[in-house]
Amino acid sequence: MTDQATNVAAASSEAPAAPRRSRIRRAWDWYLEGHPVIVTGLAIFLGLVIGGIVIILTTPSVLHAWSNFFSDPWNAIKVSFDSVGAAYRAMFTGSIVDPSAFWHAVTTGQGWTGGSSVLTPMSETLTYATPLVIASIGVGIGFQTGVFNIGANGQAIMGGILGTYVGSMIHVPMAIHLPLTLLAGILGGILAGLIPGFLKAYTGAHEVIVTIMLNYVIVYFLTFVLLSTALEAPGSADGVSRTLDTSAQLPAIFGASSGLRVNYGLVVAIVVVIFAKWFLERSTMGFDFRVTGANPRAARTAGINNKLILILCFVVSGGLAGLAGVTQVSGVNHYIDTNFLVGSAGIGFTAITVSLLGQNKPIGIVWGSLLFAALSVGGRQMQAQTGIPYDLATVIQAVVVLLVASPVLIKEVFRLRGAKTSGIQLATKGWSS
Amino acid sequence: MISSSLKGRALRAIAGGSIAALAISSFAVVAPAGATARPHTSGFLACVVTDTGGINDHSFNASAYQGLKDAQKANKSISIKYLSSSSSSDYAPNINTFISEKCGIIVTVGFLMDSATADAANAHPSQKFAIVDDVPTTTSKNVLSLTYLTNQGAFLGGYLAAASTKTGSVATYGGINIPPVTIYMDGFVAGVRYYDKMLKKKVKVLGWTPTSGDRSKGNYNGSGTFAGSFTDQTAGQTITSGFFSAGADIVFPVAGSVGLGSVAAAKSAGTGHQIIWVDTDGCVNDAPDCSWFLGSVTKGVEPSVNAAVSAAAKGTFKGGIYSGTLKNLGTGTVVDSKSVSTTVKNALKTITAGIESGKISVDPTKYPAV
Repeated sequence: MTDQATNVAAASSEAPAAPRRSRIRRAWDWYLEGHPVIVTGLAIFLGLVIGGIVIILTTPSVLHAWSNFFSDPWNAIKVSFDSVGAAYRAMFTGSIVDPSAFWHAVTTGQGWTGGSSVLTPMSETLTYATPLVIASIGVGIGFQTGVFNIGANGQAIMGGILGTYVGSMIHVPMAIHLPLTLLAGILGGILAGLIPGFLKAYTGAHEVIVTIMLNYVIVYFLTFVLLSTALEAPGSADGVSRTLDTSAQLPAIFGASSGLRVNYGLVVAIVVVIFAKWFLERSTMGFDFRVTGANPRAARTAGINNKLILILCFVVSGGLAGLAGVTQVSGVNHYIDTNFLVGSAGIGFTAITVSLLGQNKPIGIVWGSLLFAALSVGGRQMQAQTGIPYDLATVIQAVVVLLVASPVLIKEVFRLRGAKTSGIQLATKGWSS
Repeated sequence: MISSSLKGRALRAIAGGSIAALAISSFAVVAPAGATARPHTSGFLACVVTDTGGINDHSFNASAYQGLKDAQKANKSISIKYLSSSSSSDYAPNINTFISEKCGIIVTVGFLMDSATADAANAHPSQKFAIVDDVPTTTSKNVLSLTYLTNQGAFLGGYLAAASTKTGSVATYGGINIPPVTIYMDGFVAGVRYYDKMLKKKVKVLGWTPTSGDRSKGNYNGSGTFAGSFTDQTAGQTITSGFFSAGADIVFPVAGSVGLGSVAAAKSAGTGHQIIWVDTDGCVNDAPDCSWFLGSVTKGVEPSVNAAVSAAAKGTFKGGIYSGTLKNLGTGTVVDSKSVSTTVKNALKTITAGIESGKISVDPTKYPAV
């Protein structure tokens, strides 16, 4: 009758015979089960395929070759694959490693440091991923508690503002200054998070609306502090803040002279990942968070104080977002301006998609952040080398997220039976609860 | 049921096709980098890192990119590339990407890229840089700062306004009180005062009162009216309406898009009220409002970038400061309104020659105030 029906019939009739199957057959079954890792992998794969189609459809030289398809069909196909290949090769070598340069460095010992070191792509990807991991874990903890914190970007900006205040206007030794700066960032995020937290807990205001609108308020607050307060760099009228003292900057791991920008923010991010894993899986409060997320009514019946959990969730989520903001300032920018995390640079918004991609789990989020960072960093290299616009990286990111968020589509395309969706279902439930 | 199975088949066909496509393209990715040479041309590579506006911002970023294209048109061996910054965090990585791409010259745009450009220039003393509208402090001598003596262009704008006013009163205002803004206002006032002196008229200027200071050292001292922003169009409309009720009929806003508020104010005040646009030609940039523009005082970003890139391609590039003047088209005034008489246009040509030769001073304190 239909394929589905036959599939189901086949699956049920084959089930008892499972132990006798070969290893390959079992791997194939595991694939068909649609484990989240498989779904995500296939989504990335399809994202790259669709990105390739976009390249073919938008690159003038390729279109020109296709317009001569009937006189020279082989050339059209060759040019298409050449430009898609060149684009993805540039993305790969620009975000991970250039194999030939790497081999050259291994054999000659040259090119490990300096402006265009073989480690630069990896360093750039890690630099980009560092604040993203922290902010995404904040958002992910919110999702696991059933709280839709769309305000992570505003909270990160607040973290950046308070961090810049402490980092540039207090002058103490590094051992005190750096922790104080990071704490100020966390505090900024918590303050910005407490507003929607209290409003949701005590007035029932929907956190999505409150956090979205607070983002705007905070962007204008940023402009205000940069143009009208002592934070503005003396003698400047362009809305640029003072520069952080060296003692408040997260130093580059390989030293400033290495030319590699990856900084000790990476260590902060790793600590956050370990903390989040412990918090969600081992701590009592994390358990309360997850229970509240799974079923708020059951949680209340079991004696969990919903209001308190809600506010604490915004403290944790906002605090991490603030930490992400201050990590960006302290590790990379060293100052803030009116564009700080505004628009497409808004890591707090990217964090929502990354969290979704990582199924709201710390380790998944790490991989999601690395993927997004690699696509962004590689996209820059792709545009510089091939002229294919950076925006293509954004297209691939969007397609991957769309496909991960709709596993049914992946299931259909790749004939998977299972396709588990637990993380996504949990995340999207926030709207109705 | 049938349709769903058809859909399934169609999807599967797409999947099959895409798997084949990716298999081949991934083969291309895996192939060693040396096998297919990068699409580099053998000539000179000129690169621009734009600010957040991007290459289509109808302003300096677009002009800088156009400057590269102009240079390419004149010298076919130049190939060009650009990267847009989505935020200030992108400045440094974008510049570094171009350094590793071995660009012959890297052009950056605007004050906000000052420190990123200076850092990169210090770290790579052999890499040539040019930065539009900014003078970074560097230890190396590989940066050409493109600056513009726009008071020369604004002087012509002031003369044009004084010659065109019906009410005997014109006005100017700025975005924020910083030298790149006040230099325009200062030159504008000088132009009006020069007109008064030469033709024994008494045209007044509202919005900027210059005080003494050495103009050649960049001190455009004075006090005046400022919108406090480069984006708040409502403020521009309020200020301009105020000038109109105070008797002015021509207003010169030096405040970026705030000037669109002035255009709105002129529209609501009706015919007889005109605006002088700033930085770019208003009739090109804001074509629908062309009839409200008397003229435009321009900043010649394209010719300056073109000159820097062409010099770098020829090997005659030298770091330092480029000053855009009337002579090298680094600034100027475009007459937009058809009502301007040939006499005035000819007078502007004579004055241009006078400023170029140094016979006419653009310092407003050299002329008596009305």
